[in-house]
Amino acid sequence: MTTIFGYGICVLGAALGISIAAYGATTSMARQPEVKGNLFTVFILASAFIEALCLIGFVVAIMSM
Amino acid sequence: MDEAFKQVTDSLGELLDSFYPAAIVGNTVVGLTVYIVYFILAMYAMLRVISLYEKKMEGTLVPHGVFANIVDACMQFVANDLCRGVLGETWTKHLPFLGTVFFVVLFGNYIGMLPTWKPGTGSTGITGAVAFASFVYFIGVGVKKKGAWGYIKSLAPKDVMAPIALLVWVIEVFSTFLRLITLAVRLFCNMFAGHLVMGVFALMCSAFVNPMLQQFTLANLGTGAMSVLWMLMLLIIYAVELIVCFVQAYVFALLTAVYVKLAESDEE
Repeated sequence: MTTIFGYGICVLGAALGISIAAYGATTSMARQPEVKGNLFTVFILASAFIEALCLIGFVVAIMSM
Repeated sequence: MDEAFKQVTDSLGELLDSFYPAAIVGNTVVGLTVYIVYFILAMYAMLRVISLYEKKMEGTLVPHGVFANIVDACMQFVANDLCRGVLGETWTKHLPFLGTVFFVVLFGNYIGMLPTWKPGTGSTGITGAVAFASFVYFIGVGVKKKGAWGYIKSLAPKDVMAPIALLVWVIEVFSTFLRLITLAVRLFCNMFAGHLVMGVFALMCSAFVNPMLQQFTLANLGTGAMSVLWMLMLLIIYAVELIVCFVQAYVFALLTAVYVKLAESDEE
């Protein structure tokens, strides 16, 4: 049970991180549509870094169950 | 309905066991595991696709037909978005390696999307090998550009006091080796997690429909109707996984490109 709570906290962190990245990316794209391509790359990159942490949490939770 | 949920939790361990890279020949240290077999199949498919593409493009620069256009679009994507966008002037030099990494990971991911097949990139052994190749490549690029000693020195910041520069150097070396681990673990976790979630929904689907098949009552019919919902969820997760497979191949090649760029750049 505790592992599931731990994983929930982990997802919360990752969700906040990705939402901040998405917020920044969308506002910047709206202000300056010409940098869309570059921003998308950076956004995917940042999301991948954040998501990796969340997935590590997932695997650890599965393994400790 | 409670029984169905209990059945799912009972068979969860079995599902997890099925992800273990069981050896077909030899043992898990030296030998062929299930994932290696699928990886070899994926590589064979990749070589077939690329040789077919070459045959279609013989004597012409314009791709004709659906197949040639799809492969050409992928190639253009790697060349323009990935290499030229990130690396700048030196992109032609690194295109062969980055293209190879992208297509190896892409085919390894997608072969797992065929029902009952496993992804070629679904074990840490294989993703670790691909990550190690890109690790050696970007270190090699750095060493070739600045020399072995020059590359080691370039990890420390310039114009900083000696003790702090040493500290930053230690952290940089640590993070350089950490890149190897994160590249491998990210890809493995994505494939593992995606297939596990799909497996759980497939299990729920069968566990909810089972009582209806054994004994047809109104209550069991209600439970069986739930499995339609799980089936729908399974299809949605499957569609998401199709995107994730592509994004992970893209991220893997993109990160390799960024690391190559960092190793090549003069400042830092």
